[in-house]
Amino acid sequence: MNEARSTGTAEGTVFDIGYQRYSGPREGRHRARTAVFKDGLRTALGIGRGGRAKLLPWTFIGLLVVIGFILALVAGAALRLGGPDALEGLPTHSDFYGISSIFFFVFAAVVAPDLICPDRRHGVINLYLVRPLTGIDYIVARWSAFLVVALGVAWLPQFVLLIGRLMGHPDPGGYFSENWTDIPNILLSGAAMAAYMTTLAMLVAAFTKRRAYASVFLVGLFVISTPFTAGLSTEIEGAVGQWISMFNLSNIPVHVNDMIFGEVSEVTGGAPARELGSRVLLAWYFGWVLIPGAILVERYRRLTP
Amino acid sequence: MSQGALIQAVELGKRYGPIIALNGVSFGIHDGITGILGENGAGKSTAIKIFLGLLQPTSGRAIVLGEDASESITVRAKLGYMPEHDCLPTRVSAAEFLTHLAEVSGLPPERARTRAADTLRHVGLFEERYRAIGGYSTGMKQRVKLAQALVHDPRIVLLDEPTAGLDPSGREEMLDLVRKTHRDFGISILFSSHLMSDVERTCDRIIVLQGGQLVQAGEVTDFTTETETVFIEVDDRSEELVSELVSRGISVTAEAGGLNLEGTDDSIYDEVRDALVAVGAPLRRMAPRRRALTELFARDGEELVVGGDE
Repeated sequence: MNEARSTGTAEGTVFDIGYQRYSGPREGRHRARTAVFKDGLRTALGIGRGGRAKLLPWTFIGLLVVIGFILALVAGAALRLGGPDALEGLPTHSDFYGISSIFFFVFAAVVAPDLICPDRRHGVINLYLVRPLTGIDYIVARWSAFLVVALGVAWLPQFVLLIGRLMGHPDPGGYFSENWTDIPNILLSGAAMAAYMTTLAMLVAAFTKRRAYASVFLVGLFVISTPFTAGLSTEIEGAVGQWISMFNLSNIPVHVNDMIFGEVSEVTGGAPARELGSRVLLAWYFGWVLIPGAILVERYRRLTP
Repeated sequence: MSQGALIQAVELGKRYGPIIALNGVSFGIHDGITGILGENGAGKSTAIKIFLGLLQPTSGRAIVLGEDASESITVRAKLGYMPEHDCLPTRVSAAEFLTHLAEVSGLPPERARTRAADTLRHVGLFEERYRAIGGYSTGMKQRVKLAQALVHDPRIVLLDEPTAGLDPSGREEMLDLVRKTHRDFGISILFSSHLMSDVERTCDRIIVLQGGQLVQAGEVTDFTTETETVFIEVDDRSEELVSELVSRGISVTAEAGGLNLEGTDDSIYDEVRDALVAVGAPLRRMAPRRRALTELFARDGEELVVGGDE
């Protein structure tokens, strides 16, 4: 053994123990799913990546929070200038997703493909599938990861708006007791929005290895479908016009938002699709979530026997 | 079924429409380094993918560590796989990527981090571990591919063309790593290659596939010692010595300033001694020489010469 130096400082020895066999716990499929889920969260938010990877998600998150913040400031200013009656007619929680839905969709379009396209493009998917993980495990973990991020993105600006309105009100307690039902409505409506945009974005991304192709296609789909269907549905009257209006992809979750809040937002107020009734609109929404979801799962199920 | 096999192919068949990739082959992979040799399209990668559970066999069974490869997901935690083609992300560091894949193999996060560092040290990338993989050279990427196959300490590793795309020095380093992985850590290895020299220098046993069929299987030494040759150099009287050896029934070929003498058993040494004495040729050098697998297949089945030394 090495002796201590006369200065009293213990002498250190560096050992290169090299590669060691592993005899610790192996947590199997559950750990595998959790790892893919966690990696999906990190990828979506650019955590542990360079500045460029953080730029897009955080720009959109910031933008949506700013929208919520501005609405809160406007409400606060209206209260100070015109009293509680001045809040009437100002955009509130029920209007938020209608106003900002296009930003949610663009966020999903540019960020969600990053969770699955590079894995197939670079062949990383093969390394996942030779581990204790099936194709379905993989895609469910990735879908869940983006859903969690999308929920955060959907809820955060609404709560900024809620807190802003509370803080700006002369009687926060009274305002809260009158409007507390907004909280479950926000949670439910945000979940509807997040599930819809996550599933559609993941489905499109599942059909290309190039993230850019998926993003451009998705942005085009949402941006083009809105004016195209809105314009055509107002020109064509009757059931045909109503069904054309149903294909306004940005409005599909906003109709659900309207049902949850029991109010019609400005965006969907003039949409002929509303005339088809709540049941049809709700079934239409679930069709747009469940059928793409089933196609997505089936596509990844085929990757493993 | 052979006793103690880590992997067992039992009448294993795989069809892609009218194309037969594997035609009912049976063989066992035992502890050690086993090479699967064959030209492109011989069925090597198909066999490996069936063992990994990535492909379903059309007929027969693949038994891996005692479990049916197409049914067991848990057995994959004990397997490592290094694909032939690209499989690495570009934007993440090797340390992060290996930690993540160790977790996907079932290791807890803390252990995964330690294993990633240890494995990157083993493949010689410890100093570079925090750099993004996209900036690595081809040789470094191959090492990351090997490291990810080892990071969860598998029982057996399946390497699909691990030297593909490497320059001679990179190739030699990769073969050294493969040998070291088995020798020092006891991890068994299935090594697919179309380069016979790689297989000969690295593997204990070989399996030769051609057109989806098993051509040969056995110890590498079985293939080479069966045709043992002796290389000699003499200072003088070379021509007389050749005549004497031929008269004694020994096949002689000239090579690199000396003579290759081919016999069937150890008696060749006695014959060479007697022939040297008979013609009075001064012997400078004599050494046993095993024939390379490349030569073996070049003579016994020319279509099996699929790569040779590059």
